[in-house]
Amino acid sequence: MKNSYEFVVYGPYALFTDPLTKIGGEKSTYQIPTYQALKGIVESVYWKPTIIHYIDAVRVMNVIRMESKGIRPIEYGGGNTLANYTYLKEPKYIVKGHFEFNMNRPDLESDRNEGKHNSIFQRALKAGGRRDIFLGTRECQGYVEPCSFNEGSGFYDDREEKIYFGTMVHGISYPDETGRNELEVRLWQPVMNKGVIEFIRPEECSEIRKVKEMTSKEFVLADIETADSLLDALEKGAMR
Amino acid sequence: MSCLMNLYETYEANKDFVGKIDYMHSGQSFTLLPVSHTTQTAHIEVAVTEDGSFHTAHVIDKNDRDTIIPCTEDSASRAGAVIAPYPLHDKLSYVAGDFVSYGGKIKDKDHEPFSSYINNLKKWAESPFTTSQVKSIYTYLSKRLLIKDLVAEKILWLDENGQLITKWNDKYKALCGDKKPDIFSSVASGQDSAFVRFTIYSKGKSLQKVWLDKEMYDSFTHFYNEQLSERDLCFVSGQWLPATEKHANKIRNAGDKAKLISANDTSGFTYRGRFNESHEAASISYEVSQKAHNALKWLIRRQARIVDNRVFLVWSIHNDKVINPEDDIYDISHLSAEMEDPSAYTNSEFANQFKKAMDGYRNKLDPNAKVNILILDSATTGRLAILYYRSMQQNVYLQRLADWHSQCVWQHDYRKGKDKQLLAYFGAPATKDIAYAAYGSKASDKVVKGLMERMLPCIVDEKRVPKDIVHSTFYRARNPVAIDRWEWEKTLSIACALINRQEYENNNGRGFTVALDEQNIDRNYLFGRLLAIADVLEHRALKSEDWRLSNATRYMNEFSEHPERTWKTIQSSLVPYQARLGHGGLYLTQLIDDVAAKISYQDFDNQPLTGKFLLGFYSQRHQLYQKKKDADSVTETN
Repeated sequence: MKNSYEFVVYGPYALFTDPLTKIGGEKSTYQIPTYQALKGIVESVYWKPTIIHYIDAVRVMNVIRMESKGIRPIEYGGGNTLANYTYLKEPKYIVKGHFEFNMNRPDLESDRNEGKHNSIFQRALKAGGRRDIFLGTRECQGYVEPCSFNEGSGFYDDREEKIYFGTMVHGISYPDETGRNELEVRLWQPVMNKGVIEFIRPEECSEIRKVKEMTSKEFVLADIETADSLLDALEKGAMR
Repeated sequence: MSCLMNLYETYEANKDFVGKIDYMHSGQSFTLLPVSHTTQTAHIEVAVTEDGSFHTAHVIDKNDRDTIIPCTEDSASRAGAVIAPYPLHDKLSYVAGDFVSYGGKIKDKDHEPFSSYINNLKKWAESPFTTSQVKSIYTYLSKRLLIKDLVAEKILWLDENGQLITKWNDKYKALCGDKKPDIFSSVASGQDSAFVRFTIYSKGKSLQKVWLDKEMYDSFTHFYNEQLSERDLCFVSGQWLPATEKHANKIRNAGDKAKLISANDTSGFTYRGRFNESHEAASISYEVSQKAHNALKWLIRRQARIVDNRVFLVWSIHNDKVINPEDDIYDISHLSAEMEDPSAYTNSEFANQFKKAMDGYRNKLDPNAKVNILILDSATTGRLAILYYRSMQQNVYLQRLADWHSQCVWQHDYRKGKDKQLLAYFGAPATKDIAYAAYGSKASDKVVKGLMERMLPCIVDEKRVPKDIVHSTFYRARNPVAIDRWEWEKTLSIACALINRQEYENNNGRGFTVALDEQNIDRNYLFGRLLAIADVLEHRALKSEDWRLSNATRYMNEFSEHPERTWKTIQSSLVPYQARLGHGGLYLTQLIDDVAAKISYQDFDNQPLTGKFLLGFYSQRHQLYQKKKDADSVTETN
């Protein structure tokens, strides 16, 4: 398939905040990344409104370990407060995913070229992503590298028993991807089998909660500058 | 937070304990609270007859005041001027209909606390979930006669104007029969803030006290469940259930304001941005929140370790007490009866013995049971954070413990046994003792709790022991001049245990034993042995005199930095002792020569020594004393 990819992502720390601990400010991480966190990483590597990324599976390579830190968050009203944040220590994941065209964007039909997007994605991946990669939150810098899904040995590879994580957030549905004018949050019950978590697709999640009304941002082609016209402008500038 | 889910399941699995009173070491009582219930300190107990009239009342004895009372979300978190009555038992200002006529002060004339209380009670008494007790209490209280009856019963006291005495003064003695009534000593802030609990008196039947009656718990739980707000998707159970935004506090102790789940920050952008309100970011059902928090409180009071307000909790869902990873072998053998005398084993025997003990313990457990490890602490007073959470298969957990206790091992003799005798035992030190070894016996609790948290992954996840901890212990152990003898010995054996564990980490599962390894020609090990022999030789020569530091231990620190140079000093200072021992010192002198000969020429230099030198020191010294003891016992039997 020309639309699929596999890569490794790792970093010294990760914070996939459990929403229950987020609201009070004492952030504590989930034990495994959410679908949405991985989708965010993929989108940082390469994304266009033309495409939607789907995460198929993640392989947990290192033992799931937590470490807490005393943090001094700055208050928006001035001053600071104290909090304990709990991070995942030395996370490393191999991710398998693919992209599909966003059918809610008929205006971008001319951009639907699988081979092109795939090539750009692979080039961006090789370069470590187009934007900064972070694992959950902004302070947890991460790194991506091309990698095949079954490469290397993981801590949970030989574990016979299945590991259940209870109910977790799967991700957040935005209007431009669902076509509905609301922001929704999806829950699911992940299971890890020999270190691998197979994600279900967003539309397969049965537990969906409406958060609030929201409309997708409008783009018109007039807002988008084509590469050709940009190059033209640059060349003209250079001539001067 | 599947941690909450596991707490919820713990509650479900231990429903039999609901309402059963248990006691902590300190003598304080605790219980697994029913849903929609909390505990309060009551001062006055009023018995009502079945047909709803006053029977008797008394001031409650100091040890019997803790009462399980039903509560609503609002009443559980009421504060200040807010009127939010508890559903059944409450303060006088809420339950007494004649409170105002006896001089009780209420903040807002138009909103009498009693009317809001009695309306709620009426709803309960008329609901299909009601019990006969609720009806009787409602019938009595709606007569608005409580204070009158209590005065007649000589529980409450009025001044000359027929008003409640607010503050005790000796001038009231004449009114109260020449002594200070009990009520004034039991309620510190005056009669009008006394807390009243109700029970039912019956001539024929022996009824359970209202606050210990399971049927009453269920009656209120069902009644209240009907009134809860609209359903929402619960982030813990994944089901659509009535949601709540008010969560429990008093988690660690009765004075603890910190909440595990809170959302008081609407301006600090903790959740704002994508979400406007806290319930948009997350929601949790009333049932799960209640049960999980009640289970957590119960577990903490039952089996948690608390160091400087940091909670270390290990539990298994099915109510087995779980072996604590922070413990040493003494505490563990306390748990599993199969463990025999833990003192006299070498590494492999010990490991086997330990495994056997664990197996004995393991057989009693469900193989699929999970062990949960949780650390909680708060940075500020209002919020509690989860610092560490891990849930693992019970047998994996026990295997890790067995590994830890057979790798981070050495012989220790600082623990006192049952008869308060110092006992030599073989095993891993408790994490608390490691903290004292690394930072000194006066280390603050803040430092200790930090180390305890850092050691946990080493035990349950087989991580390497942090280098700074090993180093710090090593540096303290090689400097006997700076600390008391007992403390140094303790630090030394713990340092040996940590260095031994490090050896296991570096050498893929091969470590040292306490028994002297004469084949070992590691430079550090041999230098350690030399120092031990010099130490023993000097002590033998000084036999009859008071114990004092030998030259060898005095120079220990210097020796570990510059072994060659310092050895010269130590050996020359040995000469007079060798002379004093005469022929008796021959064996030790020969031993020095033997050991020194094993150090190869190029190794005998001033390179600083590593931790292994402590192992050589300890093992050699141990062996020499052992030999001495054997020789002594031989002469005795002769």
